[in-house]
Amino acid sequence: MRSFSLRNRLALAGTLVLVIALGAVGLALNAANERGAVSSLQARMESYVYLVLAAMEVDGNGRLRMEAEFADPRLNQPSSGVYVQVQGRADRWTSPSSLGLQWPDRNDVTPGQGVFTEPARGIDFFSYIYGVGWQLSDDSIEPFTVLVLVDESEIRQQTSAFRLGLWRALGAAGVILALAQLMIFFFGFRPLRQVAGDVARVESGQSERLTGHYPRELEPLARNVNRLLETEKSNQDRIRNALDSLAHSLKTPLAVIQAGLPLHGGKSEVSMQNAVDEIRHLIGTRLQRAGTSTRRTMAEPVEVAPQLQRVIESLQKVYSHKMIEVTCTLEPCTVFYGEKRDLLELLGNLLDNAFKYGKSKVRITGGAVDPDATRPGLWLRIEDDGPGIEKTQVSLLLQRGARGDERVEGHGLGLAIVAELADAYAGELGIGHSEWGGARIDIRFPAS
Amino acid sequence: MRVLLIEDDPRLQETLVSNLRDAGYAVDVSADGIEGLYLGEEFPVDLAIIDLGLPQLSGLEVIRKLRKRGRDFPILVLTARSEWQDKVAGLEAGADDYVTKPFHMEELMARINALMRRAGGHAQPKVNLGPFTIDLTGQRVFRDGEEIELTTYEYKVLNYLVMHPDEVVTKTALSEHIYEEDADRDSNVIEVFVGRLRRKLDPDGSLNPIETLRGRGYRLALLLAA
Repeated sequence: MRSFSLRNRLALAGTLVLVIALGAVGLALNAANERGAVSSLQARMESYVYLVLAAMEVDGNGRLRMEAEFADPRLNQPSSGVYVQVQGRADRWTSPSSLGLQWPDRNDVTPGQGVFTEPARGIDFFSYIYGVGWQLSDDSIEPFTVLVLVDESEIRQQTSAFRLGLWRALGAAGVILALAQLMIFFFGFRPLRQVAGDVARVESGQSERLTGHYPRELEPLARNVNRLLETEKSNQDRIRNALDSLAHSLKTPLAVIQAGLPLHGGKSEVSMQNAVDEIRHLIGTRLQRAGTSTRRTMAEPVEVAPQLQRVIESLQKVYSHKMIEVTCTLEPCTVFYGEKRDLLELLGNLLDNAFKYGKSKVRITGGAVDPDATRPGLWLRIEDDGPGIEKTQVSLLLQRGARGDERVEGHGLGLAIVAELADAYAGELGIGHSEWGGARIDIRFPAS
Repeated sequence: MRVLLIEDDPRLQETLVSNLRDAGYAVDVSADGIEGLYLGEEFPVDLAIIDLGLPQLSGLEVIRKLRKRGRDFPILVLTARSEWQDKVAGLEAGADDYVTKPFHMEELMARINALMRRAGGHAQPKVNLGPFTIDLTGQRVFRDGEEIELTTYEYKVLNYLVMHPDEVVTKTALSEHIYEEDADRDSNVIEVFVGRLRRKLDPDGSLNPIETLRGRGYRLALLLAA
């Protein structure tokens, strides 16, 4: 399973936290607002009590007499949402606003006591009931209770308007915070993208190590990657050196054995000679291959032309008596992504065969497979005017795995080494006939 | 002809020396680069066989130094490093050919022979000299198709003269290039070899193939035909 990306992880966590936090803030603000609205309503209801008491007169029989008009018009207007009832032992007064109102049951309270009740099931009003003891002219105390009812819709309208505004504001804040979060991720993850790009450049061989400046948190990662690269390189070198020295230290004793054997000896000498040749072949191909197989990932480009020139000059010296005419056509900036010594090995073996078997002419052509690719690849064609390579040998040379065990005479060892190198660099080797009837070797390393 | 061999492996050195001596070469041997360089600079060497992996001074350095000091005898690189990187480096340093270990002794001898011939200006292994044909590979001499039997030293003298045509070769030079350093040299012996060689090549004294220039040395008197 592909693991959840860091950015998605953080985005999910961030959004979750944002939603929970904004939700909690919203709920808290809403609750506080409701509490505030209720308590201010309670204060207002108390003030209605005092308003009514101020407008009230009581005669000696305990009868109520109320002023006709109240300062607050809501007490006069029917269905205004504010209703007052004054209840005495002998008389009862209800505000003009309560016309047609079904009064709920009421609890009695002792004078001086006020009870506030919030709406409950079946009761759509906030109620405040207050007990009063009215001193009559004969100094006796007549008890009254004043009941104020306020329609709950009054507060509901107010709080729902607040809630709507609140959620809108919080939603806008959420959107802004989410956008800010995205931007933070974009900038915050930039160093990670940079590291990934730098690692890709190391992988493609454009640089050898991570050299950028990274944030402190990424420095240990970059350091460890560099250390890993160094270790890998030194491991490669160590393995290669070990293989090299093994190959070379085997060769001198082999030379002693071989030098002691006559070329045209008896049966036992011939079989010993064959055994020595076989060992030589194995050293040349298998050890070579073990050395090359780990080299591909970190390869840097090597220009082909100067190395080709070196090999041609060297071979012209060795084969000076043959006066070989060399034609070389190479596209400009033809490069080989690999080790210089592998390129030299490739060119050396191919051209050595061409010089050795060619009668008077050798032609080399080459270029990039795809000039627009990051790694443009490489193709090379080497032709001579010698006797060419026999068909039976061609199949033996191109057969993977067989070539190390079968000894192919003539072009054999050199081409076997070339074939191993081609394998190690994922290249293709083609063997055919040149227009002059000699050998034609095509080698092609794909672009990537 | 005098061959300098610089090779540090004692077994291979021994085998090579005995094969080279059997083939008629005078051989000077060294097992390290510094001594080898000294021998190459001071001795009249006709060809050097140099191993690249030498103690003290690498083979490549020895070749570079020899070339820098104007020593232009052919150099054959003998190396266990079969990679082209090393071959090219050896040839660029000034070597003329390379043989990688392990090798067939016959192949090495053929390469030495070819280098010697090329240095003497002979592209082909057979040299025609008037009625004489000298087979440089087989080390045999013919007059009008009939083989003339020569001793090793008689052949060495003739070979050296053929390799240095149009030159006056002194008796000292002949003895230096035929004998090894520690051999007991006597210029009278050279006179004896030359005398015998003349009698064998030209029994009736009509051709006089080897001239004597009194007080100076010898010279091939017949025109070489390639």
